[in-house]
Amino acid sequence: MKMPVVAESEQLPVQKAREGKPEAWDALFRRYQLPLYVYVFELVHDEQASLDIVQETFIAAARHIGGLRDDEKFGSWLFGIAHQKVFQFWRKHNGKEVLFDEIPELPDEFENSPDDFLIRREQEAEFMSLLNQLPLPQRSVLLLHFVEDFSLEEIARVTETQLGTVKSRIHYAKCALRKLLEKNK
Amino acid sequence: MKTPREILFERHQNAAPKLDAIRREVVWEGRRVAVPKFRVADTTTLPMLIWRELILPSRRIWAGLAAVWIFIFVFNFSRRDPAELLARKFPPSPEMILTFRQQERLLAELIGPNETQAAEPPKPFLPRPRSEERIETLMT
Repeated sequence: MKMPVVAESEQLPVQKAREGKPEAWDALFRRYQLPLYVYVFELVHDEQASLDIVQETFIAAARHIGGLRDDEKFGSWLFGIAHQKVFQFWRKHNGKEVLFDEIPELPDEFENSPDDFLIRREQEAEFMSLLNQLPLPQRSVLLLHFVEDFSLEEIARVTETQLGTVKSRIHYAKCALRKLLEKNK
Repeated sequence: MKTPREILFERHQNAAPKLDAIRREVVWEGRRVAVPKFRVADTTTLPMLIWRELILPSRRIWAGLAAVWIFIFVFNFSRRDPAELLARKFPPSPEMILTFRQQERLLAELIGPNETQAAEPPKPFLPRPRSEERIETLMT
């Protein structure tokens, strides 16, 4: 399976896209279409709505590329647009549902690597099931962490939350997942 | 063994054709991204840059200022003395200048020499007690 390569932002033709070159936009969207879709779908759980949000994200990115100051942050900027659209969708369909979780203080030891999870084939379904049971804010940061390997600062920027909150959410979400994986060993 | 990323991407791989179609529509068929809001023109020379950044955004203000200046110029021009204009247009001949000087001389002879009166020398300042000054003031 061909997967989009992570951490190649410096090679992305953002400047050419800013100049309005369709080839550059094609390359950028090709790179991010599947990660964006994965992120949006795992939050929305509706195929058509996810496709619509991805499309709207592309159009918004093309319209507002002038506002992007740092080309290397294109990825997190694009996910930030998608994140806003997901939460607009949630507000529209779930009314005033609480999207914030009460996070206890983070313990001193904190590891942060997306590769510290290795899941066996028979655990895959359970992994997905548990991922979907996580509160939306925890799921959101964990997906950004898994899908694009964004740094904590980038995740904070995408989700517009404090760095400490992002750390806590990732930590507790990972703890929950680890418990499941150890239980089924 | 797989990473969460691999699992997530595998699960959604079947969405790839639909995503390709969306990308094509947005980039190529819809042509929506070909003209982004902020476009860096190929001709980013200094005059073009000045025109685009300084003149074009406030063109109405510039046009208004230009109109005011034109009005001031026309008003100023219309109030000029026509005799002065004529004099500039037709400069006087040497004979006219000679006559004018003769008349000037005659006038000077009739009036007499213009003597200026010598100014009265200033009075020397003599310090006096303040009480005397006051009495003098009251008496006047």
